[in-house]
Amino acid sequence: MGTVFKRDVARALSDATLKTAIDRTTVTAERKRAAALTDYPQFAAARERGTRIKDHVVAHLDHYLLEFERNATASGATVHWAADSEEACRIVLGICRGAGARRVTRSKSMLGEEIGLPHALEAAGIERVETDLAEHIVQLAGETPSHIIWPALHKTREQVSALFKASHRDPHKTEDVEAMVESARRELRDRFLSAEVGISGANFLVADSGAVCTVTNEGNAELTTTPPRVHIVTAGIEKLVPSLAHAFVLLRLLVRSATGADLTQYTTFHCGPKRPGDLDGPQEFHIVLVDNGRSRMLADAGLREMLRCIRCGACMNHCVVYRQIGGHAYGATYPGPMGAVLTPALQGAEKARDLPHACTLNGRCQEVCPVGIPLPALLRGWRDRSWKDGLVPQSVRSGLWLWRFAAERPRLYHLGTAAAVRAMRLFRRGGWIGRMPLAGAWTRYRDFPAPAGRTFMEQLRDRERGR
Amino acid sequence: MSARDAVLGAVKAALGRSRPADPADPAAVAAEALALLADPDAVRPALPGTDAAVAFAARVVSPKVGATLDRVEALADLPGAVRRYLDGQGLPHLLALQPDPALQGLDWAGFELRDAALPDEAAAFGLARWGIAETGSLVFHSGPDTAVLGHFLPLHHIAAVRASTILPHLEDYAAVCGAAPRNANLITGASGTTDIEGSYVRGAHGPRFLHVLLVAD
Repeated sequence: MGTVFKRDVARALSDATLKTAIDRTTVTAERKRAAALTDYPQFAAARERGTRIKDHVVAHLDHYLLEFERNATASGATVHWAADSEEACRIVLGICRGAGARRVTRSKSMLGEEIGLPHALEAAGIERVETDLAEHIVQLAGETPSHIIWPALHKTREQVSALFKASHRDPHKTEDVEAMVESARRELRDRFLSAEVGISGANFLVADSGAVCTVTNEGNAELTTTPPRVHIVTAGIEKLVPSLAHAFVLLRLLVRSATGADLTQYTTFHCGPKRPGDLDGPQEFHIVLVDNGRSRMLADAGLREMLRCIRCGACMNHCVVYRQIGGHAYGATYPGPMGAVLTPALQGAEKARDLPHACTLNGRCQEVCPVGIPLPALLRGWRDRSWKDGLVPQSVRSGLWLWRFAAERPRLYHLGTAAAVRAMRLFRRGGWIGRMPLAGAWTRYRDFPAPAGRTFMEQLRDRERGR
Repeated sequence: MSARDAVLGAVKAALGRSRPADPADPAAVAAEALALLADPDAVRPALPGTDAAVAFAARVVSPKVGATLDRVEALADLPGAVRRYLDGQGLPHLLALQPDPALQGLDWAGFELRDAALPDEAAAFGLARWGIAETGSLVFHSGPDTAVLGHFLPLHHIAAVRASTILPHLEDYAAVCGAAPRNANLITGASGTTDIEGSYVRGAHGPRFLHVLLVAD
């Protein structure tokens, strides 16, 4: 993964269009979230409450899983359990085959991406129709999502326009975003109504009723889950909340942190299949509860707090690294700070060693996290493990050994830094260093600030002498 | 071992439960969960003023929700208000009407009515069970007199709500909603998307317009 990550980062950094696309959405998202919080002075208290609710659920996860299963079953739902992604996909495909499904509509679910469901459906020869507008764009482009809230964030409007013109039956005629959205609306309408199975994720699983909460602004979740004969929910086991009132506390945090709105346009609680007398709704309602590494995180004191995550995406919108490289360079379902913590947990540290290192530890992610996840501390935890497990490359180990050797010998250290500072000045051009031996990895993408003429210790000594 | 046993066993082991059958005391868990809902005003936005219906009306037309609003005195005035809206939009008097007896019993002379929305329905009209002032949401419960698709297929979603059913906060809905319906739909504005470059566009898949009729009753 090491070289793959570095290659993908290099590719992302040299893509000027990508940088434009990332900025267009993340800058807006950051501004809207800030405005939403200005109107919500209770945010700090709500965040503390939300944190406690998630910690409570995690501490009693066995209790809530059983309560949810009992109530969902009583509502007529069929509850399935999957230990890993293969098992989850096998269960979903089994239900699809049982329903004779040729066409499946899907409402955006990051868990679905995590378990590889899009690929599994296609491999099984089932037509997959992504209904979230961004997922539709990503599907047409043959790509994967690059953000958990805006999966097509990496696409400019010009690129979307070209995709729609190449594939929609009745594409837009004018080059405005409104016309493109209208084109997708026309394209997907009959797909919604002709699918045999609709698949959604879950934002919350409500234990005391067995209901599943989905939130969208487009209304595509309800159009996905209502017309087909079968509705399948795939959900991570950490999505539980005790009751509807607890879900509302978390919804206030989730939506403001994600999009800056106070509530999503469509917030729906799905409870069981169509009931006698109902005018619409699915005949079968299946819920697949997926572990896929979550119980391992629960057992791990250095990762348990990550189970609080409500997938708002604020950490990536505010991350200086994400905003440079975008989501695809992270090489996994979850990008940004939360992804850098989750991916090693889901895929194994040896495969994702680089991710926790691609972080400046500036702490913005923790500041904006609506459930107070100490992301920098969790990332540092991965770095520690990577060191202890011998996953850090020899070159880095040798470099750090050398630094430590010098740092433990102050006179040697001062001599070395004094020499380095003077040597670096030779490469200075107007306060910046554009190129310098041994610094190519840095200066390839940006200048390095030239150091002051003397080291910190030299300047301090001068000041103390009153100069 | 079944996947259920495997997952539950792993969760119990991770939580350090000494015996597999060692459940947390349900009453203690419930008490702890309830305590997490104490002092709700500390964690929710305050309403402007004390009248929930007034706050709801202001909220619905604010940019946060972006709906339009009309007021009527009684349910009997609804057909007239719907006609006004359709005329204003240049639409025919053609309507998918939610089969709620309270609406079906009104005088719809001059309208062509349908029980269920067509895939390309121009306008549908329904009666929300509650409104929520905090967010400007309308709440519908699916059932024999309410189809879910009626809120999602039409381009124009027209929804009436009685002022007496406006609740101040989301938690107030949780307190009064009763047993969960198959679908509880909280609708807060028209369908929208920011999926292309973050720019906000209405009418992504669901309705492009939401028109609320507040019934004074």
